[in-house]
Amino acid sequence: MRQGGDTPDGARGKIVADISLVADSLRAHPPTGAWLVRARRRGYQRMLVIHTQFNLYYFWEKRWFFLAMALGAFMLTLPLPEDLSRDGMIVLTMSVVATVLFVTEPVPLPTVALLIVVGQILLLGIDSTKVAQSLMTDSVLFIMGSLMLAVAIVKQRLDKRLAWLIVRATGTKTANICFGISVVSGLMASFIGEHTVAAMMLPVGVTLISLTSDDPKKVRNLAAVLLFSICYGASVAGIGTPSGGARNAIMIGYWKEFFYDPGNPETERYLIDYLRWMTFAYPMFLLQLPLVTLVLLFTFKPEYRDLARPVAKLRAQVRREGPMKPGDMVTILFFVLILAAWVFLSADIGMGTIAILGASAFLVAGLVKWEDLNSGVNWGVVLLYAAAISLGVQMKETGAALWVAESFLTLLAPIGADQGFGLWVSVSALTTAVTNTMSNGAAVAVLGPIVLKMATVAGESPIIIGFITAVSSAFAYLTVVGTPACTIVYASGYLKTTDFLNVGWRMVLVSMVVMLAAASVYWPLLGV
Amino acid sequence: MRFDLSAQEEAEELRTWRSKRFRILVCVDGSEESYVGLRFAAEIGRSEECDIILAYVRPADQGLRTGGLQLRVARENMLDWGLELPSVKYLKQGFEILMEAGHMAEEWDAVHTHTDVWGDPLGDNKTEYRHESGKSIVLKLKTAPDVVSGILDQYELGPYNLMTLGEPSRWQGEIHSFWDAGVVQKVAMLSPCSVLVARNGAERTGFLICTDGSEQSFEAARRAAVLAHYCDSPITLFSVTPDHEGQPQAEEVVARAKAMLEDLDIPVAGTVVGVGDPVEQIVEAGAGHGVIVVSDSGKSRLKRFLAGSVAFGVMGRAKTSVLNVR
Repeated sequence: MRQGGDTPDGARGKIVADISLVADSLRAHPPTGAWLVRARRRGYQRMLVIHTQFNLYYFWEKRWFFLAMALGAFMLTLPLPEDLSRDGMIVLTMSVVATVLFVTEPVPLPTVALLIVVGQILLLGIDSTKVAQSLMTDSVLFIMGSLMLAVAIVKQRLDKRLAWLIVRATGTKTANICFGISVVSGLMASFIGEHTVAAMMLPVGVTLISLTSDDPKKVRNLAAVLLFSICYGASVAGIGTPSGGARNAIMIGYWKEFFYDPGNPETERYLIDYLRWMTFAYPMFLLQLPLVTLVLLFTFKPEYRDLARPVAKLRAQVRREGPMKPGDMVTILFFVLILAAWVFLSADIGMGTIAILGASAFLVAGLVKWEDLNSGVNWGVVLLYAAAISLGVQMKETGAALWVAESFLTLLAPIGADQGFGLWVSVSALTTAVTNTMSNGAAVAVLGPIVLKMATVAGESPIIIGFITAVSSAFAYLTVVGTPACTIVYASGYLKTTDFLNVGWRMVLVSMVVMLAAASVYWPLLGV
Repeated sequence: MRFDLSAQEEAEELRTWRSKRFRILVCVDGSEESYVGLRFAAEIGRSEECDIILAYVRPADQGLRTGGLQLRVARENMLDWGLELPSVKYLKQGFEILMEAGHMAEEWDAVHTHTDVWGDPLGDNKTEYRHESGKSIVLKLKTAPDVVSGILDQYELGPYNLMTLGEPSRWQGEIHSFWDAGVVQKVAMLSPCSVLVARNGAERTGFLICTDGSEQSFEAARRAAVLAHYCDSPITLFSVTPDHEGQPQAEEVVARAKAMLEDLDIPVAGTVVGVGDPVEQIVEAGAGHGVIVVSDSGKSRLKRFLAGSVAFGVMGRAKTSVLNVR
């Protein structure tokens, strides 16, 4: 207790005798008191504190895990439906449980992958070596290799050169710069994946914003336009080529697994190579690019129409980098070689082989350290895709995919959506709904077998339906976690989650119209 | 074993030391409102017996969401460009506000610590500025699975007298909030100490202290009044009655509260009695004040669940900052 007269801050709020801030003002309650003290706290606190005392919180936190497991057990005790084998039911159950776990994330997601492997061995009784073999396919090698390539390329710090290229070509008008950023992000992302491009271009966008104004409030809309140009430019590009995203590689793998029969030359058209995919999807991406900029400028009206000052500053910054170094040249050479190999050789030796060859080239040339690759890649993702694909193949083998496809079609029949355009729209809507709740690769891995079987049953082209699924899985514009590019750009701190909703639904609409137009007008011209 | 003992002694010592300090946890998220809370804390924190802990909680990264490419790759790239990560920027901004308010922490001893948590490369980072008198200002960048648990974990690390939060973006009803509540609401619900939900309103001053005549609310009013007196803020006492019949009783309540404060030599600028729905009346009366003081400890759980909590209603709907005293 302090005496009033000689308090050091006597000038401010004279503290009277026997009153001190610590003792008489707001109290600091001990965080862990006796059980009784804790229980005396009222309302929510009481309940939640008791939860922690008995560690019920663990069960609450993991409730989705236990619910999913209970759901699985329940499904396995149900009587078998007609035309579904016991194994089919088990695989179906595993898929449902895995999907619930994907969406609710009560456990780290790679755990789901491990459980899928264990489930295949214990529940289906498949030989463990066989299961292990089914985990690694060319698609998985590709996912792994392209993630390593992504880190290697980001580490080369070519982003300043890119920024320089963009502003030199576009001048200083905000709208032009946005379009330039979308084009460059898109073109690159179509070959090396959206996450790579988002990580590379993020500093470019943030630099332009922070050079314009230090006060984030004055540049809110400008920041949104620039950053969304990066992430949506990259997102719409992800469908452009097979190497644009894991989901494309997964779909190509499914087509081969489901429809290709080495003894039947008729089925060779289901082997989609790099160029063929590009003829299908690349025009769509090019068509969407200007629409991205239009939608963005229409949604957020940027505060500055001209960015002459920040662009000049950016130029000065880039000039300090000096001329291209030999390492930069080698990187560009590698990049071009890898692209050429994907285009011309992937039909023979596989896309995955080329991706890991490229990653090794970067390591051999000493352009990137293994430690960087190791810490920059989330290896759990590779595991997850491997397990999801292997489960997808089981869906086909046990007949579960066929059964689900048939049931779906029976459901869709009354509204006339069991064939033709109606089916396309429902497949696209289904995929968009699923992809907004989980990663797009996982969405394709889970839905792929079902929609492909639906196509066969309904007499539609599996290639068109497959493309619709792969392309729609990119329509996760609504949430921050929907696409990798969005998540990375969100980390800059300039965007709000509501911004994604604001502009996202417009993007979904635009993209869906473009895709359905392509599916009904353009793709049939290619003879599918 | 000996190591454990000395560690325990150290922790005990720290706890005793902290119990003699008025500790304020300021949670910043980069929004203007969260800095309003900081300015409030800075106002109180000029006293020597006051510590300010500035915290930003960043959710731990999940590689899957970024397609398998770790977010750190993008972050390192930003740092290569000489750009600041948002978390650091927000803390720095807060630190500058404290400087402006006259906390000369830059010349004090600084200690940096880093702890790895949640397998996340960024982990927990802490910079503590300590003055000879023992007063300290801490900048803390925390990593947690989600923001709410990060803030509550921070409470467990050392008790605080007051926690300030920015304006909530959404605020659900009593029952709805059970399964779906925003960060601010959840923290306000679960925090063991008093919580200030800060809102913009630089031109408004003064404390509107609400009391319902119960023992707890008097206690809360007294504690809040000490704080207000400390900040040189005028105090207005407020009570509300559902109908005119209760008016004399409500007037008696504020008169008793006034007498209690004047016994402590704390001047009271005025007393007001409102008639009608408590939440509406308090929000309306508080619109002209800097801070509304409410207390949620005067009601039984059942009553709160059925009728809704006035304190929580006010926190959600007020236009000014609200201090919930516990």
